[in-house]
Amino acid sequence: MADQQGALSEGRRDEAGRLGDGADPGVWEVFRQEKDGEPMRHAGNVRAPDRELALHYAREFYSRRQESVRLWVVQRNQISDLSDPDLLQPPLDRTFKKPGGYVLRDKLDAAKKRAKASARTQAADKE
Amino acid sequence: MTTADHARLPTRQLLQPDLPAFDAATLDQRTRDALAELLLSMADDEFICGFWDSEWTGIAPLLEEDVAFSSLAQDEIGHARLLYEMVGRLTGEDADRLAFHRPPEAYHHARLLDHPRTDWAFSIARRWLYDTADAVRLAALARSSFRPLAEAVAKIRREERYHLMHLDAWMRRLAAHAGEPRARLESALRTLAPDSLTVFAPLAGEAVLTEAGVLAEPMAKLADRWLSEVGARLAEWGLPAMAESRPPADGRDHAQPAESFRWLWEEFTSVARLEEGVEW
Repeated sequence: MADQQGALSEGRRDEAGRLGDGADPGVWEVFRQEKDGEPMRHAGNVRAPDRELALHYAREFYSRRQESVRLWVVQRNQISDLSDPDLLQPPLDRTFKKPGGYVLRDKLDAAKKRAKASARTQAADKE
Repeated sequence: MTTADHARLPTRQLLQPDLPAFDAATLDQRTRDALAELLLSMADDEFICGFWDSEWTGIAPLLEEDVAFSSLAQDEIGHARLLYEMVGRLTGEDADRLAFHRPPEAYHHARLLDHPRTDWAFSIARRWLYDTADAVRLAALARSSFRPLAEAVAKIRREERYHLMHLDAWMRRLAAHAGEPRARLESALRTLAPDSLTVFAPLAGEAVLTEAGVLAEPMAKLADRWLSEVGARLAEWGLPAMAESRPPADGRDHAQPAESFRWLWEEFTSVARLEEGVEW
């Protein structure tokens, strides 16, 4: 697993080293939900000797002032990292995979220009 | 500064919504006096406990615990505030004066709370003993026939749930680690045991309160319930049992204040004593 993790995190070893098997087991990542229906978002982390105290400390740091309706804690060494740019940021053009490849903006702009130009011509004809 | 002046301060109005509105006149004089006595003893318990535990701010075993334990201490001072305000509504006294302007002999906290902070295991053990006793007392008051009290207590109990979880977690941790942690915990429990029932010390007006249903059960009965609950937890953690005994009649008497409490009193009144009558 560690090898695979390393391979997938090629190029970003600094961050990867702090996650997964190599991570400090005393660090817990905290996720919080601000309101019902909202997604869980990463809030930060706490240091704790076990899962129970990790939840207590998450409560102290991320909802003491009633700013969350739900908290999750995940031991940092249980998180797998994927940050390999070859997998996530491929170098070749991928615009054909994006809906943006079919935007009407350019066509629309061209149509507007044509409409303006023809309006001008018509006005000139009247004069 | 009079109570009426205080009531006009905007900050106090902002801080007051926790106290349910109530009319003290709905209670007869005897019940009112007895209730004021009960609430003042509870307020003093929370206040003194909060001050001792706040001493850990900056020096707790880990940064996260520093924040957690300080927050627990602040909660207790918040509960004390609510209770002092209620006493004030019953007797016409000012909450700040009750908290900071009595001589040490006039406080009514349980002797369990006379003990100084000592070491981490000691503070955990004391807080656990106090919070579990307080929980039994609060459960009885949640069933109070006096609605405003039952409502205020319901709010306090919601915060106390987390306190009990946190203290249980620490008791379990210390008990489970043979060697220094467990030895210190056992030693703390031995020192504290003789004073632990002082939380349930009989009150002068207790019979009036139980008769009116303001206090659902007498203190002696609450003490028995607490002993059996605490006994079960201690057994579960393999810790020595507490000796069965009765709550001491003088458990809240401070005619001769303990040296440690005198010191704490000097600390927590030091700012209030700087200049008598000053407006903050």
